[in-house]
Amino acid sequence: MEFFEAHKKQIILIVTAILLICILFTYGKKTNATFIENALGFVITPVQELTSDIGNWFGSKIDWISNHDTLAEENEQLKEQIALLKEENKRLKRYDTENKRLSELLKISQKYAEYETTGSKIIAKDPGNWYDVFLIDKGKNDGINANMVLTSPNGLVGKITESGATYSKAQSILDSRSSVPAMSVRTGDLGVVKGEYSLMNSGLCRMEYIDAEAEIIEGDEIVTSHLSDVYPSGITIGKVKEIKTDANGLTKYAIIEPYVDFKHLDTVLIIGDMVDKPAQEAQQ
Amino acid sequence: MRVLITALFIIINFFIQSTILHYIEIRGVIPNTTIILVVSYALLRGSVEGAIVGFFTGILQDIFFGVSIGYFALLNTITGYLFGRGNHNFYRENYILPMMLCAIAVFSYETIIYITGFLFRGQLNFLYILGNTLLPETVYSCIFTIPLYRILFGTNEWLELKEKYKYRLF
Repeated sequence: MEFFEAHKKQIILIVTAILLICILFTYGKKTNATFIENALGFVITPVQELTSDIGNWFGSKIDWISNHDTLAEENEQLKEQIALLKEENKRLKRYDTENKRLSELLKISQKYAEYETTGSKIIAKDPGNWYDVFLIDKGKNDGINANMVLTSPNGLVGKITESGATYSKAQSILDSRSSVPAMSVRTGDLGVVKGEYSLMNSGLCRMEYIDAEAEIIEGDEIVTSHLSDVYPSGITIGKVKEIKTDANGLTKYAIIEPYVDFKHLDTVLIIGDMVDKPAQEAQQ
Repeated sequence: MRVLITALFIIINFFIQSTILHYIEIRGVIPNTTIILVVSYALLRGSVEGAIVGFFTGILQDIFFGVSIGYFALLNTITGYLFGRGNHNFYRENYILPMMLCAIAVFSYETIIYITGFLFRGQLNFLYILGNTLLPETVYSCIFTIPLYRILFGTNEWLELKEKYKYRLF
């Protein structure tokens, strides 16, 4: 301790220099956790899972108390909705079989590949206020790697940026560093959905680089486009809330309202390896 | 003993800040308990221990939530070092000073994160961030300083009493 006290200025300078070098060399390149990180993750993530569960339990109890009066009414509405959806589902299934038969006849490949999904729990969120990064409870041991895509039943959530043995670090689409190539379903206009800090807390994001002559309007559904290496095409993101023209007048941008409720998200689905049937057939 | 309890504080703080604290956020802002911990340690124990606590809290945050190893570690270490420099010059029993220093620390810390992480990527709306993140977080952290500093102060008194008998310092 006396040694530290005597040379603290020199030590702090050396530590600063080492850390600066570390920052420069590790910036954004890591996709696999190192041995030390795995060991730490092995100890820390179970406790985080526990505290998270406790928090969730209290949160759900508070929700239950505050929504108690509207529950019966909501139940009725949901039952009606289920009946409608069942009806529609039957109709769509018929279309599905018809589509398959027709495409077999025409020998064209299916446009939307099928994916294997694994469920996973969110165990911790970023302790700061700036970014939207979270940890999930599955890692390399369960076959999860960096750049896998996270969804929820409603739509796209984000992607995995780094995976350890028992945990993975993920970035949501609201994070200001995330960008997802996207398109509008109705018109096919392309753009890039980016997170923005000022929209993050209200759960919105922004779609940029839309052509000025694009016919995109409010309420259009936005899905991931085929232009990305990471995100498979055709995953729903959200709908257009507002459209504005950029200052240069050449492009437009849209405010997107994701279908996923990021405030109350506690489980996610990880899209695993693509079961890309046409590709497999092509190899054979 | 002191090392053990300090490590415990660092880890518990990390758990709470990354899980439970998100349930009491106000307009998406949570108090920065890490900085409160670092500044309190620096005030109670001096710049060396402040810097050490800062380093370990930062490295934990880097490993689990950062893009590069060392960014938060560097910020927290320097915070701990700078705020520990004046710890011989004031009475630790006072509550106003820790509150004010924590407010200054949180404000400057978050401003540095804004400059390095957002301004350089072309996000110029500083006024929005000032009103919606920096000031609310500073005030929220300021309020949280009172109970946390009380706990840390009490623990420190107890440890110093034990150490006094053990090493026969006085």
